Amino acid sequence: MTASTTGAGPLEHGGRGSRILVRVLVVTALIWTLVPLGWMLLSSFKPTAEVTAATPDVWFGPTLDNYRNLFSGGNNLGPYLRNSVVAAGCSALLATALGALAGYGLARTKARGKHHLSFWIISTRMAPIAAVVLPIFLIFRTLGLIDTLPGLVLAYLSFNLPFAIWLLNAFFAQLPPALEESAQVAGCTSWQAFRHVILPLTRPGLVTTFVLCLVFSWNDYAFALVLSGPRTQTLPIAASQLVTQTGIDWGQLTAIGTVVVVPMMLVGLAVRRWLVTGLTMGAVTGE
Amino acid sequence: MGSLTTGLRRDGRSSGRRSRIPLPGFAGRMMAPGLLVLAGVSLLPFAAVVIMSFSRVHLLGGLRLEGAGADNWTRLFTDPDMAWAWARTAGYFLLTVGGEMVLGTLLAICLWRLRHGRNAALSLLLLPMFVAPVIVGLLGRFLTDSTFGLYSWLLGQAGYHGDLMGDKTTAFLSVTLMDIWEWTPLVTLIALAGLTSVPSSVLEAASLDGAGMPRTLRHIVLPAIAPVLLVALLIRSMDALRYFDIIWNTTGGGPADATKTASVRLYETAFRFFDFGYAAVTGLLMLAVTTVVARYFVRLLDRKGLAR
Amino acid sequence: MGSPPPSSAPRPAPPLSRRSVLRGAAGAGAMGLLAACGGRSDAAFHADAGPWRRYAGTTVNFISENTAPTAAIAADLTPFTELTGIRVNIVTLELSALAQKVALDLASGNGEYDVVYADPYQVLAPYAPAFADLREFAEDPGLPRLPGGFGDFIPTHLDAAGRFGGDGKVLALPYDCPTMVWQYRADLFERYRDRMADDLGFDPMPSDDTTWEQYYAIAEWFNDKTDAVRYGTGHQAKQHDALMCDFSNLLWSYGGDYFDGGRRVGRVGTLDPGDCRLDSDAAIEGAAFYQRLLRIADPGSRTWDWDGLGAAFRAGRIAMCPNWHEYAASNEAAMPGKVGYARLPKGPARSAGMYGGTGIAVSDVIPERRRQAAWLFVNWATAPRTQLANLASEVGGGTPTRTSVYGLPRVTEAQHRPSKMANMLSATAVKETWRSDTIGLRPKIPMWAECDTAVYTQLSGMLAGDASPESAMRAATSRIDRIVARGWVN
Repeated sequence: MTASTTGAGPLEHGGRGSRILVRVLVVTALIWTLVPLGWMLLSSFKPTAEVTAATPDVWFGPTLDNYRNLFSGGNNLGPYLRNSVVAAGCSALLATALGALAGYGLARTKARGKHHLSFWIISTRMAPIAAVVLPIFLIFRTLGLIDTLPGLVLAYLSFNLPFAIWLLNAFFAQLPPALEESAQVAGCTSWQAFRHVILPLTRPGLVTTFVLCLVFSWNDYAFALVLSGPRTQTLPIAASQLVTQTGIDWGQLTAIGTVVVVPMMLVGLAVRRWLVTGLTMGAVTGE
Repeated sequence: MGSLTTGLRRDGRSSGRRSRIPLPGFAGRMMAPGLLVLAGVSLLPFAAVVIMSFSRVHLLGGLRLEGAGADNWTRLFTDPDMAWAWARTAGYFLLTVGGEMVLGTLLAICLWRLRHGRNAALSLLLLPMFVAPVIVGLLGRFLTDSTFGLYSWLLGQAGYHGDLMGDKTTAFLSVTLMDIWEWTPLVTLIALAGLTSVPSSVLEAASLDGAGMPRTLRHIVLPAIAPVLLVALLIRSMDALRYFDIIWNTTGGGPADATKTASVRLYETAFRFFDFGYAAVTGLLMLAVTTVVARYFVRLLDRKGLAR
Repeated sequence: MGSPPPSSAPRPAPPLSRRSVLRGAAGAGAMGLLAACGGRSDAAFHADAGPWRRYAGTTVNFISENTAPTAAIAADLTPFTELTGIRVNIVTLELSALAQKVALDLASGNGEYDVVYADPYQVLAPYAPAFADLREFAEDPGLPRLPGGFGDFIPTHLDAAGRFGGDGKVLALPYDCPTMVWQYRADLFERYRDRMADDLGFDPMPSDDTTWEQYYAIAEWFNDKTDAVRYGTGHQAKQHDALMCDFSNLLWSYGGDYFDGGRRVGRVGTLDPGDCRLDSDAAIEGAAFYQRLLRIADPGSRTWDWDGLGAAFRAGRIAMCPNWHEYAASNEAAMPGKVGYARLPKGPARSAGMYGGTGIAVSDVIPERRRQAAWLFVNWATAPRTQLANLASEVGGGTPTRTSVYGLPRVTEAQHRPSKMANMLSATAVKETWRSDTIGLRPKIPMWAECDTAVYTQLSGMLAGDASPESAMRAATSRIDRIVARGWVN
């Protein structure tokens, strides 16, 4: 790994050799990370013929045709976008809310079998989707949830909720119970202590949880494919629709890829600082 | 999933003053809504999958199940391709999760030691984890296409004229690398979170002792972030077995089955062959394996947590 | 387990076997109950209106693969809505996603989708009892007549895409018809014709007498003697359905077949195809030739499905390939005037070109009036006028499935350059292929998806050097026999 060391400087400084090595590694990682994304972005502005040119082409007359095609004519992407926003947003919000309640309860309960309970919660996230999708489809069908946004929200909860509970539980567990106790001595109810003392302290955790849940559900394909209908298709479904019998329109596909990816990146980057502190507080004490 | 709660684990901690009545307290009321929703979306389907694994599943004219005894389960042991699928799954799991852990940690340490531009670099490095797996798969296909793929062209310039997805080894490595590309950032993020929480006093003490960089890393830093790394490991290993979007959208399991993992088999059995009985068996087996792996990591985590 | 399950009656009432009552009855009952509820209501009905207007105000849901005719129809539905007052919702998906949604829709017992794009192998054969017999609608005086009758459809199409099991029912109307033909760079063939003839000892121009061995020689010639293309031939040999399609042409032309039941299995379809015959000498010979051919083909072949192959051909990497004829339009756009089309070469037994057409069917798990409204759409969507419009559509370009359309002057004109309907440039080649002795029909059996997977997996192993043609074919045979013996559960 980091090889040479000259003497015993504090870690942040290290030797010149190792500093250069660090930079080289970071730059390499950046290239490895960004080239595919950059290429996708670039290709989405290319005229159709150049997207699949045998020799990669960097100089071309940029065009918005691919995007224009996505938002016009028979396949207007607008509704897909709206469905994705609503379904993923609501699911992440609900997961964070329910996860905060349950995570707190789990952290504070003294019930026997608490460890079993918490393992059961996380194990529900491990279910292979292809196996459980048929029963879920039939249950949803009965409840009239097929082709509805609430149905998608509920389905996304099946993987978001365990994750949210698990992550937030870790936050609450590392806050000393003395906090609520002193609040209760001051006359608060248990709920008020939770609401006004504990919750504000875990804001980074809540944001982190919300964002990760948002990303997971925004990106879901398997559930959306089965449970959505004509009215509730989401963006990843739209992407797969470009794989047609007579070929893939790579220009449009890279455009839709960009449309799917950019919002999540923006959200993710907007809260990056919170992500690190969030995970620092939670994961370090991870349960 | 209900059966998972059977006592695999023996709790080391003494059970001193624990309430005999488990739930109805404040904590219980707080947990109730979440757990009810969770039970609804997981227990019922789980029970159905168990029943399906002992049935022949008829779809036409409304779903019907016809008891099939242990047929589906015995088939598991006579299926010539299943053992291979699991062997490949194990390889895929080790390479992806292992690679992500090593590279993610390495990268986190590098970032942590970076004096300038750490935040900017982190922002950019995180991007792949926000990309939908289905897009990663399609993008991978786009980049490795032998006619117009950027990576194929670059490799061609470098003197490699084979076809990435046409050869068994390179195809396997390619899908592995795509997974690593997508998920290393998550490990980096979590590891970096752990690193920033290592008290600087500890590090200063180490440097006063005259401990070199590698030794400090090995004896001070890594142990300090081990619990966090376990969390990352747990999150990744839960998903590594389940996700198949990348493989499905690039190689579809080929060539010569080289990338057909258990999850690809499962998807194929359920939604190409519509053999839901056998798919249920495959799915339950996957769930069991994931559970055992996760269980092991959770126990390790508990021990590390306590040791701290 | 040996005998196939009874599944002839449409909409079977659940025959409760003794075992099913005893085992898992509780769970089954609960889920059955769950499945029984839900669904949409019946269609609007105006008894006094004309046959096309009786269901005005209804919405018809059409689930389709993302194919050329669907793209054309989706782009302009106004003619149908004006004619009937029926709204149409079109859901387009790629084929595997479509098969998944259709299966789940049928499992729910009360269908969401009225009109289904019924791929003969992944939808029609597995779920034949779930589709309505279209003859009833065609004969119903209250419903509009089918223009030209069933007889106007190309006979091999009507059988392959429209029927299952030889009971005479018509379950789907042929809707699209991609068929594999020999696509070659006519410009290069012309340029090198004399040199090739000198070197090879035969006229290289594709004709009805060209053999696969000659195809091989031509491919090798392009590899060795010119720099105009990187390789002579390319193939769709990714571990994918495409590989089975590409190989089947060779299998049949060498006299092999998939099952004992012979061509009936492909044309009519059956639940019991007999023993697998991939281990016959003819089949192994075909496989051996295929392996030999792929050794000199563009190495990219092993990563291409039909789409990758099409892109490679358009990029000028290869001089020729067997591929679906509907790529003619995009070939013409990429290299105008340069591509020629011919029937595939023949082997020792015959010439065979894989047919990949599909029909559209009316679901039988929906209420009666909705079925009738759905028929109006099926009738209209396959009518001569619609097929002609599709052919000329800017977004579509699907090819007709009716004899009468090929006779229209506008269409016959388009078979020669300059053509306004570029897909028609391949019309002569496909019409040759659609004759009943040259069409290549894969087995139409409900468990085909799994057999297909076994075939292309073994072939992929053979091409990767894991197995000899003989052992690959034997392995495929034993797997297919096991799959078929297990029977089909629907």
